[in-house]
Amino acid sequence: PGGGGGGGLRGPGPGGLPGDPLAFVMARHPPCFQSRRPPRHRVCWPPPSAEASTFTRVPVSAYTDCSQPFRLGERSFSRQYAHIYAARLIEMRPILEERARQKWGNGVALRKLCELRAGEKCCVVGTLFKAMQLQPSILQEISEEHNLVPQPPLPKYIHPSDELILEDELQRIKLEGAVEVQRLVTGTIFAVYGSEQDDGKFLVEDHCFADLPRPLPWNGPSSDRFVLLVSGLGLGSGSGESLLSTQLLVDVVTGQLGAEGEQSCAAQISRVILAGNLLSQNTQSRDTINKAKYLTKKTQAASVEAVKMLDEILLQLCTSVPVDVMPGEFDPTNYTLPQQPLHHCMLPLASAYSTLQLVTNPYQADVDGIRFLGTSGQNVSDIFKYSSMDDYLEILEWTLLAGHISPTAPDTLGCYPFYKSDPFILTDCPHVYFCGNAPRFQSKLLKGEDGQQVLLVTVPAFSTTQTACLVNLRDLSCQPISFSGFGTEDDDGDMEVGH
Amino acid sequence: MAFIYAMAFQEGIPKTTPFRVTYKWLSYTLGVHVNQAKQMLYDYVERKRKENSGAQLHVTYLVAGNLIQNGHICHKVAVVREDKLEAMKSKLATIASVHVYSIQKALLKDSGPLYNTDYDIVKTNLHNCSKFSAIHCAAAVPRTSAEVSQVQTSVQAGSQTPSDTNAVSVPVVNGHGPSTTKQTAQQPKGIMGMFAAKAASKPQDTNKETKAEAKEAPGVSAVSSKPPAKGNIMNNFFGKAAMNKLKVNSVPEQPKEEKEVVKPSVPVAEPESSPNTVAEKPGKKTESARIQQKDKKSKMKRVDKSDNEEERIPENLKKKRKRIKQLQSDSSDEEDVPPSPMPEEEKAPSPPPVPALKTELEPASTEVSAGGKKRKRKRVLKSKMFIDEEEGCMVTEKVYESESCTDSEDDFAKSKPPAAHKQPVLPMRKEPKEERKNLKKGAATANRANKQVSIMGFFQKK
Repeated sequence: PGGGGGGGLRGPGPGGLPGDPLAFVMARHPPCFQSRRPPRHRVCWPPPSAEASTFTRVPVSAYTDCSQPFRLGERSFSRQYAHIYAARLIEMRPILEERARQKWGNGVALRKLCELRAGEKCCVVGTLFKAMQLQPSILQEISEEHNLVPQPPLPKYIHPSDELILEDELQRIKLEGAVEVQRLVTGTIFAVYGSEQDDGKFLVEDHCFADLPRPLPWNGPSSDRFVLLVSGLGLGSGSGESLLSTQLLVDVVTGQLGAEGEQSCAAQISRVILAGNLLSQNTQSRDTINKAKYLTKKTQAASVEAVKMLDEILLQLCTSVPVDVMPGEFDPTNYTLPQQPLHHCMLPLASAYSTLQLVTNPYQADVDGIRFLGTSGQNVSDIFKYSSMDDYLEILEWTLLAGHISPTAPDTLGCYPFYKSDPFILTDCPHVYFCGNAPRFQSKLLKGEDGQQVLLVTVPAFSTTQTACLVNLRDLSCQPISFSGFGTEDDDGDMEVGH
Repeated sequence: MAFIYAMAFQEGIPKTTPFRVTYKWLSYTLGVHVNQAKQMLYDYVERKRKENSGAQLHVTYLVAGNLIQNGHICHKVAVVREDKLEAMKSKLATIASVHVYSIQKALLKDSGPLYNTDYDIVKTNLHNCSKFSAIHCAAAVPRTSAEVSQVQTSVQAGSQTPSDTNAVSVPVVNGHGPSTTKQTAQQPKGIMGMFAAKAASKPQDTNKETKAEAKEAPGVSAVSSKPPAKGNIMNNFFGKAAMNKLKVNSVPEQPKEEKEVVKPSVPVAEPESSPNTVAEKPGKKTESARIQQKDKKSKMKRVDKSDNEEERIPENLKKKRKRIKQLQSDSSDEEDVPPSPMPEEEKAPSPPPVPALKTELEPASTEVSAGGKKRKRKRVLKSKMFIDEEEGCMVTEKVYESESCTDSEDDFAKSKPPAAHKQPVLPMRKEPKEERKNLKKGAATANRANKQVSIMGFFQKK
């Protein structure tokens, strides 16, 4: 059988470039994952060379884990949460005052709330608090006086009657005017410019956020190098729809699927980051609490099987590529942010390999000179619930501009009671900022005034979309990659026919 | 070459399979590169179709390529049936690869069975799952066992060091002093160290233990300054663990550490007791343990006593057996220690762990004192291994150690039905033991739920 296209890419080397004249032609194409091979319309397979080509995976040139601020050692829960707000304000105040001066002039009066004089135009920096009528309150729920039925979870808790209040170290004041009440969420530090009215409220004329943090130097690779972002594998869900897709993903990354061209491209994936929700929500069943003990005595938690499956999948990946595993909302680790890494005893097969890295959520690392920062999505989904913003990408961008990964923690999102510093404040501008378990894939390249360049990526939940993201570290481009099997009915609804 | 492939392919497929062959299955079964397996499948299909006997073959293909979706380029990888192949190819803007995914006799309704086949073959080949793939990663080497243990300790230390370093540079997360942090962070390490040390060996040298305890006293007193917020048990537990950690630091000898680990009662009392009592500890504890045990025994029925003896026997035998390997002198010392008038106490020629172990195994252990707490804790630690050992030991020692433990047997044989044990014959030896076992079963054996007892006990007791 004749071969299609040029001879197979031979021998080791990143991308298999040497020795293949066609590859140089292809390299001029826009850097997409699969532009290397010419279109091949034949089913046949080029005859393999005398020994089948094996590509060497691109070595990890530089990797540093920068998630130390998110690792908790000794934990004490005997503190109140007021300290974290105080730390947040103290740390972000200088940044905001600088921004205020840039925006409203050097001569702008920066006042604390206790120094306000009625009618004087000034700038105040403080923490935002949104008084929401629909916000679930545990005190109300358990209060017997009110006789309230616990409120069912709503997709959004915003209400037209919500109010914004600005708090600083000593006082608080209601805000009105040019502020988008619905859009903002509790816990944001920002600066308002306006004046205090006679009725005691502050009339806002303008406001500003911390904006993008300072840029990091660019040390990216000069050749194509990819990082695969996946989230929401959702193992243990009981439905096998995405299992084949998961296996296809593993096979593509480990270089088993695809023609030699695709395999050579897959060899350029230098890292895989699993951004949370490796286990499905179904593994969280709490039947053991509701059922009688004699019924549940010998039953195994649903997560045990799922973790075994995860271990096997991770083993397959770890034998071929470095993997960073972040925990998510449904994974067996602690609930409050920052979530600590999964324990290696749960993954005995995969832990044997040094390519497996169990990391925190949020996760920050320098991969091949590119700073990655991301979460498993809890921060974005929580803001989604308490803000009018609907788009995950928009929320992601907003958190970056607000200078804080998760402002709603600890108000509505569980958080560890830090007291000396708030590790969620953004001090350096990452090159890639992602969140996992988004409803769909979105990406955007954001450029800042000081030369910052950030790729924002919302990684979709794999269990529902069978889509993962490939980030090219050379130019911060991002491409979704989706997998599918076939079912009894073929769904060709929304696919456009290519030209 | 194609011919060779075809031959190998035909031989490779067992006739009993339901004849669904994926490229991955073929690759693992024949031990060939995945690309070769794909080629072999393709050749097979071509050949069969040419021969016109391949009409019943159904083939699925893997198609991968780029697709314009929502304005951006999306890479798509799909497994499709043969009849949908062209449709899929026409959807893709650029096609990167098309190859045979699997061949099967029956038409597949959905791709589930393909996943099952792949899953099964991967599961049986987990140890070399990337052997035949096209990408080789140099960094993916299994960790050596030394690295593994290093990682384990570094994980525990890692959780500790960030807080320490944070205290220096970035404000530390927790507000506790470094000593407390160190201690509590040492706890997991201490616990892990205990289990690891226990698994390694079982030292029974009380002399060494004494020395070790004396050494630990200063370290212990430092530990004991920790505010006793938790109950006594927890303090003991963590204190012991902290002591283990200190031991590791000060005395890196593993046997000693293990001894400390295994030694159930004595180190536990350390945090509670003052350093002064350290020197007298072994004797004191043994005596106090015996006294307590004796009191306890006096309250309990003979049944329980015999249970204790029975449990003591294997412990004794086991300890004696081990001691033979180590120092002979100690074993003799051990045996001479118990005073004769105390038949039960005779059991405690074995070191304090034994009475402690007994008490912990007994159902009514409501000790409030530190000694009682010691025993309780010991149960947690020792019982596992002890029980495991005992399953084996019981059997062997019945057979093997009947001679050597005769003297101790005689001593507490007084409390037994006299006729039974007099004859040091193996089968008869079994009976008293069995009887004791069954008696124990008759008594509250809730704690020994996993110990198998013979049903004969019901008859023999009467």
